[in-house]
Amino acid sequence: MKTPFFTGAAAIIKKDLRAEFRARELVSVMGLFALLSVLVFSFALELDREAREEAVSGVLWVTLIFASMLGLNRGMALECDQGGLDAMLAAPVSRSAIYLGKLLGNFIFTAIVGMVMLPLMTVLYGKNLLDAWVIGTTVIGVFGFATIGTLLATMTVQTRAREALLPIAMLPIVLPFLLTAVRATTGLLNGALDGEWRGSLGMLAGITVIYFVICLLLYRYVVEE
Amino acid sequence: MKITITLATFVFALLSVGAVNAQGGEANGVAYFRSRAFNVPILAGWEDQSTETVAQFHLAEAGATIRTAVVPQDDILAAAGADLSAAFGVDFGAPIYQDKVNLADGTWTALIYEANARISASVMARLAGSETVVISFVESDPVGRILMLAATRSDESAADASGEIATAIDRLLDPPATLERQESLALPSGEWLLLSSERYTAMGMVFGNDSYLAIAELAGEPLPMLADAFNRTLLGFFITPDNSPYLALGLAATFIILGTLVGSLFWRERALRKDLALLQALAGADG
Amino acid sequence: MWEKPKLAASDLQIEESPQPRTLRILTVITVLGFAGSLYLGLAAAGTDILQGEIQRIFYIHMPSFFGAFTAFGLTLIGGLIYLARRREHWDRIALAGVEVGLAFSLINLLTGSIWARPIWNTWWTWDPRLTSAAIMCLTYAAYLMLRAGIDDLDRRRAFMSVYGILAFVTVLITLFIIRIVPETIHPVIVGASPQNAQGGFEATSGVVMALFPSLLLWLIFMPLTLIWHRIRLEKRIEALNRLKTLALSE
Repeated sequence: MKTPFFTGAAAIIKKDLRAEFRARELVSVMGLFALLSVLVFSFALELDREAREEAVSGVLWVTLIFASMLGLNRGMALECDQGGLDAMLAAPVSRSAIYLGKLLGNFIFTAIVGMVMLPLMTVLYGKNLLDAWVIGTTVIGVFGFATIGTLLATMTVQTRAREALLPIAMLPIVLPFLLTAVRATTGLLNGALDGEWRGSLGMLAGITVIYFVICLLLYRYVVEE
Repeated sequence: MKITITLATFVFALLSVGAVNAQGGEANGVAYFRSRAFNVPILAGWEDQSTETVAQFHLAEAGATIRTAVVPQDDILAAAGADLSAAFGVDFGAPIYQDKVNLADGTWTALIYEANARISASVMARLAGSETVVISFVESDPVGRILMLAATRSDESAADASGEIATAIDRLLDPPATLERQESLALPSGEWLLLSSERYTAMGMVFGNDSYLAIAELAGEPLPMLADAFNRTLLGFFITPDNSPYLALGLAATFIILGTLVGSLFWRERALRKDLALLQALAGADG
Repeated sequence: MWEKPKLAASDLQIEESPQPRTLRILTVITVLGFAGSLYLGLAAAGTDILQGEIQRIFYIHMPSFFGAFTAFGLTLIGGLIYLARRREHWDRIALAGVEVGLAFSLINLLTGSIWARPIWNTWWTWDPRLTSAAIMCLTYAAYLMLRAGIDDLDRRRAFMSVYGILAFVTVLITLFIIRIVPETIHPVIVGASPQNAQGGFEATSGVVMALFPSLLLWLIFMPLTLIWHRIRLEKRIEALNRLKTLALSE
């Protein structure tokens, strides 16, 4: 008998969270990476204050996407090496539930990193990022990255080159998310008219939903034995 | 199979129909004056007075000359004045109208000169490095003045150039006039709006963010023809530098990529045969 | 201890199916049609009064995008059907679609860039449509890299079908981005151009007459012919690989 969909997904999230709470292997690495990235960008763009302010949303999103990929690669590699993936496949859980569980796990970790980055960047870059809409955009964007990332990381972890392939496979496909998210954030930060960033945010939400559905349907094809 | 042949017949029918009809649709075979610095269309029916570096066309019955030259000076006003004086032997003095306008390839200055009652000049000039490009429309012994200029559109959503025409008339004509008759005119340079009254004729064409205008005192009969010639020169100048090498480059890129694709098919086929032969040889040697 | 190989040279054969007549006819049509469309675009059509000779590149630029669309579309369809039916043939179609589509979209990108130099006075701008077209190329280049990185054949086919389906979204974005992000300077020749478009020209009857046959050729004949040849090649490569494994395992 199959475990009900949401029970299965919830169990996987619970497992990931518990493992993370004990070992702190993912969030610590992702957080450290994000911190370093923000600092490096800050130094690199220090010379020109105006350029730095303009670059805020770009720095935020580039850092988030790489942090997300780092977490995905590491999480999937751990899962694979410890035999977690095989165990899950053997368990009477639907593939979509596995996808949802892994997706939400990555989403939660990356979102935590994002929520730490926002105040940090507010301090370092002199732009107020602690706005309800900016936070909302960050959450949606990170969820979007995770939808694609979870599917692709599951694929690449089963290949020879593993870590090296995820950025190559993921970056081009994730670019629509990146473009709309950066547009929405830039619009919000520069005090653009409502219509300008709302459109981008709506589009971001729209493609997130579309990709979520597509990836949910396709996931079962990438976890066959 | 049948579908393939039907489609193929269709394609070749289209190709031949296309070959016949494509001829008619375009300004086919526009000849260009080509020089080191620029290219402009050669005006058919005009007397060609061009030298190696200056393109100049003269139409005796209208007393009109369209001249394109590059002056080695980086002061637009001085360059335009010097070019006109040198070409027509008259001192044109200071311009009576001056306006900056952004066209497709940069900021141009629209100038209008009146040397005396007999000769007037409309100039479009632009800096090109340390030189100045001067495109001028000069009319000598005019029955009534003819002026050409380009102006930035005041309202980009407006359907035609009537707003810019009205502004130009206010600035250039004394007394200002209202032109009530209105028609549209399709010329090789584009779709023009033509406004006229007993005393004046004015034309305007919208292209991009700008309007191109022509105004004539008296009911100027040849105005459409002159305005078309001048603006074809102007548009031809800034949009048609000699770009056929780029076409050749584009074709080369196309052929190289297609060649690589087809070539790789052949190459892989050959490698496959070689591997197969090797495999068979090995098996044969062992056996 | 030397074991006598059980394989004789006569066992190592790849089935040589002769080229089907339809394919041969298709190839001839495509080559002739390509020559014809070049003649139309380069010689028969008139010189554009505003853009001059370089406008002729449009007769390759736009059709090549639609050729890429067909090819990538076949990748999408191949992927979907492969996942449903698990017939290798559909995966071969998908792979061939990617290779041919990538070549076509590279042509599209390069000719556009070469056109932009004299018309926009720059080889490249980060205009939304140009950006999305470049992303599309990168995505399918990533497809080939990812494919090369997966050894297990069944896994490779399934994964690449999934990736081919995902990648098609970039094609749709490139196609529709003008409606989504209006501040592009890329002109639309058929239909209303965005307000900032630079370098458009009128689709006069002459342009349409020269364009339409080229469009049909690039949309249907060129991708189909090339993909068909590529599929046949892939079939033989797979057969060879099977033979290699067989010979090695002996």
